[in-house]
Amino acid sequence: MIEFTTTRHNPMIDPALHLWGWEVAVYLFLGGLVAGLMIIAGVRLLVMRPKERQALVCCTIGPLLGLVLLSLGMGALFLDLENKRHVWRLYLTFQATSPMSWGSWILLLVYPALLANALTHLPEAIPALTKRIPLLVTWSDFILARTRLVVAIGFSNLAVGAGLGIYTGVLLGTLSAHPLWNSSLLGPLFLFSGLSAAAALLHGILVLTLPDEELPNFADFLLSTLSRWSESKPLDARIAPTLAQADNSFLTIELMLLGLFLIGHLTSTEAAQQGAYLLLGGPYTAAFWVFVVGMGIATPVLLQFLELRHRIRHTLVPAVLVLLGSLSLRFVMVYAGQASHWPIVLR
Amino acid sequence: MMAPFYKFGLFGEPASLIVAFVTGIGFGFFLERAGFGNARILAAQFYFRNLRVLKVMFTAIVTAMVGLYFLSRIGFVDLSLVYLVPTFLVPQVVGGIILGVGFVIGGYCPGTSCVAAATGRVDGMVYLLGMFAGLFGFAEAYPHLEGFAHSTAMGQITLPRLFDIPYGLVVFAVVVMALGAFVAAEWAETKFGDGSAAGGDSLLGGPWKLTPVRRFALVLGVLGLVAAVAGNPYRGSRVTMDTRELAIEAGRGADQVSSDQLADWIVQGTADFRLVDLRGEPKFAQYHIPSAQNVPLASLSPDFAARNEKIILYSGDGVQAAQAWFILKASGFSSVYLLRGGMEEWRRSILFPSEPKGATPAESIEFARRCAVSKFFGGTPQAGAGTRAPEQPKLAAPVLPTAPPPQPSAAPKPKPKREGC
Amino acid sequence: MNPYWAGFGLGLVLLAAFVVMGRGLGASGAFGSVTATVLGKVAPAHAAHNAFFARYLGDGSASPLKDWLVFEVLGVFVGGLISGALANRLHVTVEKGPRISAAGRLVLAFVGGALMMIGANFALGCTSGQALTGGALLNVGSWAFMMCVFGGAYAFAWFMRREWL
Repeated sequence: MIEFTTTRHNPMIDPALHLWGWEVAVYLFLGGLVAGLMIIAGVRLLVMRPKERQALVCCTIGPLLGLVLLSLGMGALFLDLENKRHVWRLYLTFQATSPMSWGSWILLLVYPALLANALTHLPEAIPALTKRIPLLVTWSDFILARTRLVVAIGFSNLAVGAGLGIYTGVLLGTLSAHPLWNSSLLGPLFLFSGLSAAAALLHGILVLTLPDEELPNFADFLLSTLSRWSESKPLDARIAPTLAQADNSFLTIELMLLGLFLIGHLTSTEAAQQGAYLLLGGPYTAAFWVFVVGMGIATPVLLQFLELRHRIRHTLVPAVLVLLGSLSLRFVMVYAGQASHWPIVLR
Repeated sequence: MMAPFYKFGLFGEPASLIVAFVTGIGFGFFLERAGFGNARILAAQFYFRNLRVLKVMFTAIVTAMVGLYFLSRIGFVDLSLVYLVPTFLVPQVVGGIILGVGFVIGGYCPGTSCVAAATGRVDGMVYLLGMFAGLFGFAEAYPHLEGFAHSTAMGQITLPRLFDIPYGLVVFAVVVMALGAFVAAEWAETKFGDGSAAGGDSLLGGPWKLTPVRRFALVLGVLGLVAAVAGNPYRGSRVTMDTRELAIEAGRGADQVSSDQLADWIVQGTADFRLVDLRGEPKFAQYHIPSAQNVPLASLSPDFAARNEKIILYSGDGVQAAQAWFILKASGFSSVYLLRGGMEEWRRSILFPSEPKGATPAESIEFARRCAVSKFFGGTPQAGAGTRAPEQPKLAAPVLPTAPPPQPSAAPKPKPKREGC
Repeated sequence: MNPYWAGFGLGLVLLAAFVVMGRGLGASGAFGSVTATVLGKVAPAHAAHNAFFARYLGDGSASPLKDWLVFEVLGVFVGGLISGALANRLHVTVEKGPRISAAGRLVLAFVGGALMMIGANFALGCTSGQALTGGALLNVGSWAFMMCVFGGAYAFAWFMRREWL
């Protein structure tokens, strides 16, 4: 009996996985954020109506930011790699069963998709830039002249974005050594967390860049299109900013997924239960409930709800809270997951 | 009797941090509602322009004080378990004056500056920076200040105990004083005020009607009056115990743990209990059962563990442990156990097991197992009963096995208590 | 909000803290934890040698940020934010009297904050941890402290009238 317990500390029997630090958490956060930006940009591109200036911002500023953020995320991931000089080898092969392989190829697709989306409406969105580089107009005209190409760009953004978002969760989910990550819900969870973060980021940019009196006009901002699809109602410019509305729905879905995630663990094996216990009374409880749920989801939902009801002015606060909450979710998941192990069985 | 919930072990430390967050939200919310996110409103207090600070603070103090008194009086809260910051009179007087000066210069206090910063007040944010600077300065000078900061220690002491007045009477006095202060404050506002405090429901202003605020003041006054005669809120003297049930429990031996059982638990690393050694410190230093904590009987106080924790007591021969068992049972601990036979039995059966003469094979196997356990605890098994030395074999300090068993569910080391502000 | 009702609400929060946690509210201690954590990261040797910070850092097994007061103060920020947002009181401004420049006010705010923290550490608490909590618990030191806070502030108010009036 005693021998059995001591051998657990032998790395040959219980492999100690390479400890993931902040780099991975930051990468997962930025990856999810970019995924959200792509989906929003893709949707917006598909149902773009001319002269919707705010929509142009999402279709161009969003993807451009996405390019920068993804590069930062890849940089963080690169910092985490053990053999930095061998990174190119990932692109010599494709392993259908390895999420790492999927991820590295998806990442390669993200850049052209984002770039194409940004180029489509770049001249209208940032006229100053196109005056200096007339070539941009040529490219934009080239794309816009071909409706099918625009549709293809939109759908590819949607598809690649969804793939990227889910992949960030699946990446953790397939590591069966850590029971907390062993959930198929982690993919959708991270996807919706990324979507809410992206919507918050764009909302924040709009709050920052536009004078107060214009704020109500954001009504038809970003995901207005999503609601138009679902409700098939004509877009009312006077309705509350759809971005915040979309953000709230994403956050609500995220909250539900979190609940399902925990319930799933609690009704599963003992190992999974102990993993969930890390967030329900264990050492990561406070960080999870305060930073992820309290400050990252509940508070911004309340504030955005009041913004939507025109009870309070639009501020940067909910956007910042959502972004921080989304980042905290990755940190808590990465660290708590590594603390979860298969239980030691005595006798 | 079930509150304070945390001290009775209803939830653990991680959950307490969530409680802290939620409590903080309430605190911040009402501070902001009171207008304390604005330094001008706070500072107006010190020029008699607007006495909100006094009104809000004393209403809060009186509300919490009266509420706590009655909740303790009906036996819902154990008042002795509510943490009291120890009194160091002179440092606190000096600190109070410095803090008061800082208050009128900076316009905030630590709590309100957080609210001010959260609502966008730049001066509140700068004030936060100033606090970090002041804290750093204090810490750097701490070695020189420590002596003064710990002078005139009076321990955890309340006004009723200091002046030897019934608790309820002090409650009543504070209520009367607060109501008087409110009336005086409203009068001062009409005299020196800038008009910002005028309007709204108040004690003095407006027609002579029983407005909600006046009703509230009336209720507070009545409750204070009741408190003055309602008696002692501490429960100490009013313990009720079902002696019959205790006797049955003790008679069945259900409150005892054998040394074999305990040894098994320790070897397996089951750490869901708290092992308490009641002997004096020298004996504890000489040898104690691994993972035990030393609480000499004389210093046994009811707040050393949560009420629902599993506690196993032992002493030299078991008498002191039995006394402690009764004390803890009387203090409301639900699962307290005795180590049967105390330390003597532990030595005999675990540390220095001896093989009976002419042992049967089964007994030999059992003895071999005991030897392993004995080695685990650093003891030496005695080969045969006859050869046993008359003197107790010597034991070095508590010897732990070189490779202690992993303790997956080991309770975290209790953090040094740092409560208060 | 009517000051009496705000005070009543505050009192109920304080009472809830007593009943649930067996302790009152506080604020200043959280800043000690944060400073100790930062210093523990930047200059671990220095922090470990300082008796004041060593108290917060403990044996290093748990982060000093995992502390009741730290999370409570975090809640104060969020609670203030929510209340401010609901009342449309979120503005980036400097609160000051009409006779002082914004820069002067900020300097004084910094000085006041530093003094406040020195006083709070002598007194083992600030207006929340000592005056409010200890006041409700009829703590001897807290009442002495509270009187001195008001005394000190009123005595010094005359010198600061340019800042506020």
